[in-house]
Amino acid sequence: MMDGLPALSPARDEMANGRGGLRTHWQDLLGTLVGLGPEAMAERGAMLDRLFAEEGVTTLLPGATATAWRCDPVPLPIPAAEFAALEAGLAQRAAVIEAMLADLYGPQDLLARGVLPPALVFPNPNFLRPCHGMPQQQHLQLYAADLIRGPDGQWRVLADRTNAPHGMAYALENRRALSRIVPEIFRARHLRRMRPFFDIWQSDLQRLAPGGDGNPNLVLLSPGPRNAFWFEHVVLARELSCTLVEGGDLTARDGAVFLKTLGGLRRVDVVLRRQDGRGLDPLELDAGDALAQGVSGLLDAAREGSLVIANAPGSDMAEAPGLAAFLPAVAAHFGADPLSLPSVPTLWLGQPGALEAVVRDPAQWLLRPALDGVAPPVPLTDLTSAAREALLARAAASPFSHAASLALPPSVAPCVGPDGFEPRPIVLRLFLVRRGDGWAALQGGLARALAPADALAGRLPRQALAKDVWVATEDTGEIQGPAALAIPALPIRRPTGELPSRAADNFFWFGRYLERLEGAARLLRSVIARLERASLSPRELASLQKLAACLRVHYLVDEEGERAVGTPAFPRALLALLRPEGTLPQLTGQVGRAMELLRDRLTGEMYTASNHALRELQGALRGVPTGRSENPRALAQLSEVLGGVLVFAAMVSGLAAENMVQGGGRLFLDLGRRLERARAITAELAVLLVEPMAATQPARLEPGLRLALELRDSVITYRNRYVTALQPAPVLDLVLAEEGNPRGLAFQLLAMRDAFASLGGDGESGMPIAIGAVLAEARAMAGEVAAATRQAEAAIALPPRLSAMHESLGELSDIIARRWFALLPEAQSVGAELAAMKGAA
Amino acid sequence: MLYRLRHTTRYVYASPVDLAAHVLHLTPRALPGQRVLSAALHPRPDAARLTAGFDHFGNPVSRLFLEGSHAEFEVTAEAMVDVGFPAPPPAAATFAWESVAAAARAGGEGAWQAAEFLFPSAMAPADAAVGAYAAPSFPPGRPVLAGLLDLNARIKRDFAFRPGATDIATPVSRVLAARAGVCQDFSHLMIVGLRALGLPARYVSGYLRTRPPPGQRRRVGADASHAWVGCWLGPARGWVDLDPTNDLVVRDEHVVLGWGRDYRDVSPVRGVILGGGEHSLSVGVDLEPLPEAAIR
Repeated sequence: MMDGLPALSPARDEMANGRGGLRTHWQDLLGTLVGLGPEAMAERGAMLDRLFAEEGVTTLLPGATATAWRCDPVPLPIPAAEFAALEAGLAQRAAVIEAMLADLYGPQDLLARGVLPPALVFPNPNFLRPCHGMPQQQHLQLYAADLIRGPDGQWRVLADRTNAPHGMAYALENRRALSRIVPEIFRARHLRRMRPFFDIWQSDLQRLAPGGDGNPNLVLLSPGPRNAFWFEHVVLARELSCTLVEGGDLTARDGAVFLKTLGGLRRVDVVLRRQDGRGLDPLELDAGDALAQGVSGLLDAAREGSLVIANAPGSDMAEAPGLAAFLPAVAAHFGADPLSLPSVPTLWLGQPGALEAVVRDPAQWLLRPALDGVAPPVPLTDLTSAAREALLARAAASPFSHAASLALPPSVAPCVGPDGFEPRPIVLRLFLVRRGDGWAALQGGLARALAPADALAGRLPRQALAKDVWVATEDTGEIQGPAALAIPALPIRRPTGELPSRAADNFFWFGRYLERLEGAARLLRSVIARLERASLSPRELASLQKLAACLRVHYLVDEEGERAVGTPAFPRALLALLRPEGTLPQLTGQVGRAMELLRDRLTGEMYTASNHALRELQGALRGVPTGRSENPRALAQLSEVLGGVLVFAAMVSGLAAENMVQGGGRLFLDLGRRLERARAITAELAVLLVEPMAATQPARLEPGLRLALELRDSVITYRNRYVTALQPAPVLDLVLAEEGNPRGLAFQLLAMRDAFASLGGDGESGMPIAIGAVLAEARAMAGEVAAATRQAEAAIALPPRLSAMHESLGELSDIIARRWFALLPEAQSVGAELAAMKGAA
Repeated sequence: MLYRLRHTTRYVYASPVDLAAHVLHLTPRALPGQRVLSAALHPRPDAARLTAGFDHFGNPVSRLFLEGSHAEFEVTAEAMVDVGFPAPPPAAATFAWESVAAAARAGGEGAWQAAEFLFPSAMAPADAAVGAYAAPSFPPGRPVLAGLLDLNARIKRDFAFRPGATDIATPVSRVLAARAGVCQDFSHLMIVGLRALGLPARYVSGYLRTRPPPGQRRRVGADASHAWVGCWLGPARGWVDLDPTNDLVVRDEHVVLGWGRDYRDVSPVRGVILGGGEHSLSVGVDLEPLPEAAIR
């Protein structure tokens, strides 16, 4: 079987022409690179790393945490003619796979005629039975393939990617970063542009829309920011003018699917899915733990024809590695020409003789699961003999679930390594999208250079260095600069969708967390400033007590911590806030997560700058020593970092004001901050005014009043107006009723009222009335104290009313959530339980 | 045999459900040995959307969507069914079990659809111990039906019917160890055993006629859902249904709803709800034999 296998060595060099010389398209490039020198190139590599880290370009490898993306400064150029051949070969494969999927989800002739073995279809977890017989005009809109070039110079497909292939956004990002960091290599070179690919893709999405009313609602369905490729989802949603949504943003009604927006439900026409087919609809598919990610009724709507999903659910199954052994026969079954771009020679071990062939020459083969296209192939020679025997025994027990692919060593290309340029094996991923009846390739791609440790033949890199892929034009005679390139007329893009409810919700909470963080920092700084003094006067000690009470109402210390004022346990309680589970890392984490959730809605500048600053802040927080032993510097250092928190909060506010469009998201960000601030004011004041003795000794109230000004950053304003005399009425007027004080309560309430007015359609929400009531109460409190003959006595009667106000503000948050975010409760499945089953008759 | 069937499923939720979607396998499947004279579904509250169609296995399936807030959901399936499956061929006349297994594995014409039921599935995963339990019924060269009948009888003999001994999540390996369970467990166990030998086996969901103890009247609503096993006899012979809970060959006392790889493919009512909190489920089944005259 499988006569005429290609030779396994030596690995081909991408630069070599086989006659001892350099291939033409490498000559100039290599000249430039050598001219720059290996040290300079290593430095450029480090600069690229920093750029990706700062911009938050990450990927997540299975089982790992977010890893910054890495790109080699040396690109991989491909001559136009060679690329055209690859494009044609892949288009042919895509057509064959499309026909195969249409058959397997339709008449299943391939099975009935024995072209495909049942064992490669029925046990495939990605063969989605509920999609069998579903009307489907196309299964694949996007197709990608991983390719390697063997020692014989022939490119071959290592893996077909038919689910939701990723990498295009990274390809764009590589090009952008490379042209910035290594501009020299781009000079006087003419490269094909990658952008048109996304325009073609977007037109195909538009074309798929049922009904064709000209302005279809396109959504990109992502599993969310925890997904490995969230960064790509954000970029693609932008490039393709899709609304980025998660399952929870969509709801099925009467055979159609809708996006929950601030303006109500908006019907969805096309779902570009970036998650596995199995997780799409928990009603009909075995979602496993992905229940919350899918949309119940999505398949029903697709079956109804009211929306289209691309790629079709179930297209994932074509990634099964074992199918590669049958693709030529499948092509022949459909009358297609023999594949011009073959797979890496693959055996399905269910075929007679296949297992024996592998056992005969284990060094030649990589073993892989027949149905799992994601699992890495295992080189048999890599294993201990015991492990190899065990693996072969498993394959012998269940040959149908195993495949073997030839251990072809991929070609090598130069990369910047620690010791200068070094050749590394290359895996190339190319992307095709539908264009009319045919396919169009991304004029570029994503190459990955395998780490030397991974240099085993055919193994897909787990953690690899990416390479920018250049499609050169020099050998076609059509030298074209980017300006001269014939770009199809750009379709008018109308970003669809009003603000999704979830985004509004996220903005609201972003605002609240940010304010909470800022409030905590301000409060803690006031505390630390007092602790740093060598000795405290009784009055200062009283202030510290009050501050500790404020810390407690904000849950920054517990009751024990509050009582510890004046003992060494108190600073320890403050430093405990820095522990990983402590409030400060938690709050910065929440701010970071909110920012990540909103990444698609923040401008690049705002995201990058805020993200960068937040990371530095988190690093600084981690840098504060929190050990058990007393560290006199620790509190001072914490105070310094908290100053950074205040700067960060101010910076985000400034960026929002300068970069974000009025209304929509910014409005909710603002609402969140205002509401949180209003709640903090009432909570703190309710504690600061607790001073029973002040009825007879008004001076007792002074520390509380001073703190009320200090925590609201209003000391200077007060001093300018009233010099130094502290009296309850002016203080409370400034903190509660003064409309012009941006840190006072009235200002927050008015800003909220304005925000709701601009949202419109809020008559039924009762918001303006509720806010008006709080405002009236705030004015009344300040007014009553001012009118009282004994101001201090009137002031100390306020805490219960302030607490009630704090509660009302909390209820406002619930009203906002109900009215605008329309959050649905969690999904749960029913029916797994069995009714009492039948007994013996 | 003519039956009137009535199957009510009722959910009561602790807090209101805002949105619900249910997939129903509650309509008997029309088969050469089973005529479905009438069938209807009655949901309460009224469905915002109710579709009827066929699933991948050819079973009737309905999808039901509720959009209004509700604290209870009830669906009643009613049907009139005339059942009379033909007697299986003489066991000795069936192919040797090895050749049936080989035909299934090869797939292609006449066998590719049966091959679907060869592979492990979520609720009938491969289990070597269960395979070893089934193996003694299939000595080399034994006609496949002879082996199947032997296994059917052994399960009835070796296992105690004990409601409550197992639940939906109990794996077949535990059923084997405990030697006790209910019809669903015995069916999954038999399926896993047959697949381990390379024989296609499918899970059949339906109902069984109950006979009241002598001298007592039939109790209305006291019946229940039942499950048994479809077994493949080879390309020419097709399928025969065996009931390991009762050591029966399915003829005219069983009503078929549908079949799949295991329970999960054909669970009578399953759904996804938003809200609801805790819920309780009650089911009432009534399978009433009717005099033949009722057809006319």
